[in-house]
Amino acid sequence: MSQWMIIWRKELLELARSYKLLWLPLVFLLLGVSQPIVTYFLPDILANAGNFPQGTVIEMPKPQSGEVLAQTLQQYGMIGSLIVALGFMGAVSSERNSGAASMILVKPISRSAYLLAKWTAMLVLVWGSLTIGYLGAWYYTSLLIGEVDAIRAIQALLVFALWLSVIGTLMIAGSVWLRSGAAAAFSALGLAILLSLTASFLPSALAWSPGQLPGLASGFLLGSIPDAAGMIIIAGAVLTAAILYAAVWRMRRMELP
Amino acid sequence: MSALLRAEQLTKAFGSTQAVAGISFDIAPGRCTALLGPNGAGKTTTIRMLAGLLQPTGGKLSYAGVKPGQSPNSLLGYLPQAPSFYGWMTGREYAVYAARLCGLSAAEARSQADALLERVGLSAAANRAISGYSGGMKQRLGLAQALVHRPKLLILDEPVSALDPLGRHEVLMLLRELKQETTVLFSTHVLHDAEQLCDDVLIIRNGEMALQGSIEEIKNNHRMSVITLHIEGDDHSKQWCVSYQGGAYVKELRRIEKGIELVVTDMELARRELLGQLAEDGIRVAKLEFGHSTLEDLFMKVVSG
Repeated sequence: MSQWMIIWRKELLELARSYKLLWLPLVFLLLGVSQPIVTYFLPDILANAGNFPQGTVIEMPKPQSGEVLAQTLQQYGMIGSLIVALGFMGAVSSERNSGAASMILVKPISRSAYLLAKWTAMLVLVWGSLTIGYLGAWYYTSLLIGEVDAIRAIQALLVFALWLSVIGTLMIAGSVWLRSGAAAAFSALGLAILLSLTASFLPSALAWSPGQLPGLASGFLLGSIPDAAGMIIIAGAVLTAAILYAAVWRMRRMELP
Repeated sequence: MSALLRAEQLTKAFGSTQAVAGISFDIAPGRCTALLGPNGAGKTTTIRMLAGLLQPTGGKLSYAGVKPGQSPNSLLGYLPQAPSFYGWMTGREYAVYAARLCGLSAAEARSQADALLERVGLSAAANRAISGYSGGMKQRLGLAQALVHRPKLLILDEPVSALDPLGRHEVLMLLRELKQETTVLFSTHVLHDAEQLCDDVLIIRNGEMALQGSIEEIKNNHRMSVITLHIEGDDHSKQWCVSYQGGAYVKELRRIEKGIELVVTDMELARRELLGQLAEDGIRVAKLEFGHSTLEDLFMKVVSG
């Protein structure tokens, strides 16, 4: 078995022992399931909770099933990325600061294998959590609101998974470049927000920006796919690879306590 | 090249501070070498460079059988000053993990890990989480994980400094065994440990090599005859000590609290003359010792001088 695989298995074991393997999927599932349920019951909730005068008639347009899933993805875009940040902001820096990394990296293993194992463990957890939560949302949406086009839903999921991979890779790179976990989380989330803000303010100038990824994912669900869809996906993949390369580059030259 | 490890003009600067300023030495295979020096002399920086954790800013490190640019990690076993493990793992899991990282197969890793844990006396605690280990147990686990791949050179940074007398004794006994099997380099500021265990010493001060060689050689070359005289606290004897000027045989005269200390050139002459003088003047001698300087005296002289 390759060294990468050995480190990867240790990473997964660590994720399991620290319960990240449990609470990350749970949070995604909770977020995902609550979206269609709250949407479905919203008129009743409003009727019971609001201080409306008697006889008020609340009439809301029934949302499309695609809209509900797109809203779910929006939730994941905000709270989901916060959770990814929380889970991985110290991926490398905490081991480096404690000295645990020094003891491992003097073994005859390559530093890139060490980093790539952490990165793939992160991807597995993020993709797994996202998929579980999304499937939950999908199930309740089709139960309560209406059928969803399966191809579109899967396309949206894959595109959104790429967006979360960009954020997760930024997190791992941040934890390589910066010694403090909080600083890594702050910079990675800051960059992610910057990407998506610039993309939404300058939609034509930055039509190919990876910041368009969340919008593209919603687009698949809402039936409004931009022309540059392919380029956005390629840009997202290239950005992920570039961030990962920067992290490996730094990792190779890193001085350890 | 006969040396297992050769350092030439090894230098490390952090900003404008020179932590290690061009030291050169050889580690011969099968020898046990102590890296000595006061705190802040650059011992840990040197060791971290040898282990490949720090990049030297100057000089060259060459390992026998390793081409320049290649990683020497497969030759090395390393234990830092305060080993830090994954607290959520058990001792056995960590040892097996370390062995797997060194390229052992799953079965080999398990048997090697168990054998080493047995050897360092951790068998009973092997299935407990490392977060509950004491300092001494962590140090012993650190030794076990450094040895899993039978390294040619075992590098230990202050292996006993943080331990209580019992833990210290245990680790020293282990080291005594290990030095029969492999080449050992360890840093310490405790001279006694070095004197007991080592064949060679490297003494560094302010990042520079102050003295190096085999212990025997250094002892012989720098051995001095020392006479220590303690007196009882009466006025006559005190007066005598203050006015004592020594003879031709005295190389160095130090007045200490309880009397005087002499470094002499000719012990026989000194013995005859001093004893005669003391008897003649009726000095109340409390203690009179004719001996040799210890490694500690030498160390103090080298690092403070």
